[in-house]
Parts: sequence; C-alpha cells; structure tokens
Amino acid sequence: MFHIPLFLISLLLLLPLTKERWVISENSSLMVNGSTNVNKFACEIPAYDQSDTLTVSKNGRAAVLSGCVGLNIASFDCHNTMMTRDLRKTLKQKEYPRLYIQFLSLSEISDVTAKTQTITGLVNIELAGVTKRLEINYQISADPAKVIHLLGTKDINFSDFNLIPPRKLGGMIRTNDQLTVTFHLKIKTI
Amino acid sequence: MKKIIISGLLTGCILFVLSYGGLWLAVRFFSALFAEYNNPLFNSDGNRDVLFYLHAFIFSFALSWFWDRFKSMFRGHMMLRGLEFGLVYALVALLPVMWISFSALDVTFVMVLSWFAYGFIQAAVAGIALARLNP
Repeated sequence: MFHIPLFLISLLLLLPLTKERWVISENSSLMVNGSTNVNKFACEIPAYDQSDTLTVSKNGRAAVLSGCVGLNIASFDCHNTMMTRDLRKTLKQKEYPRLYIQFLSLSEISDVTAKTQTITGLVNIELAGVTKRLEINYQISADPAKVIHLLGTKDINFSDFNLIPPRKLGGMIRTNDQLTVTFHLKIKTI
Repeated sequence: MKKIIISGLLTGCILFVLSYGGLWLAVRFFSALFAEYNNPLFNSDGNRDVLFYLHAFIFSFALSWFWDRFKSMFRGHMMLRGLEFGLVYALVALLPVMWISFSALDVTFVMVLSWFAYGFIQAAVAGIALARLNP
C-alpha cells in the first residue's frame, strides 16, 4: 500500500542539503536593556572578543544551525561603573563567567540581500548555569561587502534563569524582571 | 528605664512612618537621585529587609537612652531642645561616620550628603518627640 506521509518524508530526506559556514566577526555586539523603578539602563558587550563559526545546513527554505557563541559577562559595560558591577553581580559572573548562545535553527533562509528580511529562529541561551530554549525574532540582511547582518531581539526575564532582579533599600528601589536582549552578529560566509 | 523604653518605642513609631514614608516619596518624586543605589555595595537580594526596616527602632531606642542621660543639658522650648539634640547627634555621630564612608566607599558626595541630611532630620524629629514624651 502506498503510504503518503512516509513518501513525503523520504522525498524531504532526498532533497539536497547544502552546508555553509558562517564566521561571526569580532565586531559583533550584544545589548541588554532593562529598567528599575528609578531609571533605565542599557548594558552592552560592544565587541565580541573572539571569532566563532556557525554551520548552516540549508534544507529547502529552512536551515539547521550548529554552533555556539560564548560571551564574557565581564565584558558587559553599562556606561556607569556601579551599574556595570551590579549587573555582573546579578548575573553571577564569579560562578558563571560566560553567557552562551547556541544557535539551533532559522525558519527561513533564502538568498540574503540588502533588503532586510524578518525571520525567526531557535536558540538555547545559557545564563548563570540555566539553559532556556527561546524563539528569537531576527532581521537579516547583507551589506555591499557581503557581510551578513543578523539582528536578533528577545525579551527575557531574570526569573527565567533563576536570577533575582536586584532590589535595594528594603525593596524601595526595584529592578524590573524583564530585559530586552538584542544581538547584532556580523557574519562572513566561507 | 520604663520611660526610656516607652518613649523609645513611640519615637520609633514616629520615625518609622516619617523615615520610610519620606523615603518612599523621595524615590517616587526624585527618582534620579536614587539611580546611584544600583551599586553592588548595597544589599540586593532582600535578605536584610527586616533589619533595614527595624532601623527606626534601633535608632529611637539608642536616642531615647541618650536623651534620658543628657536631657538636662538641652534647655528652652521643646522644638529648640529637639533641634539642638539633632544637631549634637549630627556633629558627634553622623559627621565622622559620613566622613569615613565617603573616604572608604565608592559612593558619591551627593549620596553621603543626603545620608547626613536624612540622619539629622531623623535625630531632630526624635529629639522633638523625646522632649515631649520625656521632658
């Protein structure tokens, strides 16, 4: 008997799987925006301190990604020494000095052009020893130098990673649980 | 002794309402002044909140004993005695502590100045209350 789902799966498996390697350049960055009941803060890792490679396996329009980016918590800069130290302490820098973003998939990856496309993708974020799988909204484009710009944004909560948002003076000054994480990867294909 | 405890307790209640009410209003209306408290020097996980809120009573009991011991040295109207008491406390206790805090801790001058003013107002209010409760 002819089994349609099995036939389709077999066809999918027969589709050519193209592989590409993406090198994340050192001037990629990550920004965290948050707020307290008295102010707002924006902390960034202005320049990625190493170059990592992601493997992109294209399967039709979607893509499977493998590769991981590790960021030093000590590289966070909130443009205010005290806030920077406070953020590092909150993120348990001494116990967990790195934040990892493991790339898993992209919903769609056709030819990347100068025109910005909006796509989604799955990542695992490991922060303070806790790993969370999250769907990220990306904007992807390429510049004339053929550098791919992957701009990812996601709202996360301190509590998602078992972190306690700082509260000072008996709770009169409170940091809100939600943070917006934005990362800008500049990628060269090889 | 009973007078020291009762006047200390009542002064503590007054200070509790005024200090934390005032602090709450200050955070609400002068929020920019409090941005500097996002500093790892200050406890951030809430495990000492009870101690923080007990401060008004620790302060009032200490001042109540001090007032009882030296009240004869403060003369005049209740308000004047209270203000002079606050001033003495600010000069004898606060100023040296604020001096060492500013020299040793990574805090701003404005922050230390606000602590000095806060402490002086607390001590003056406590002095007025104690002059009324334990003349």
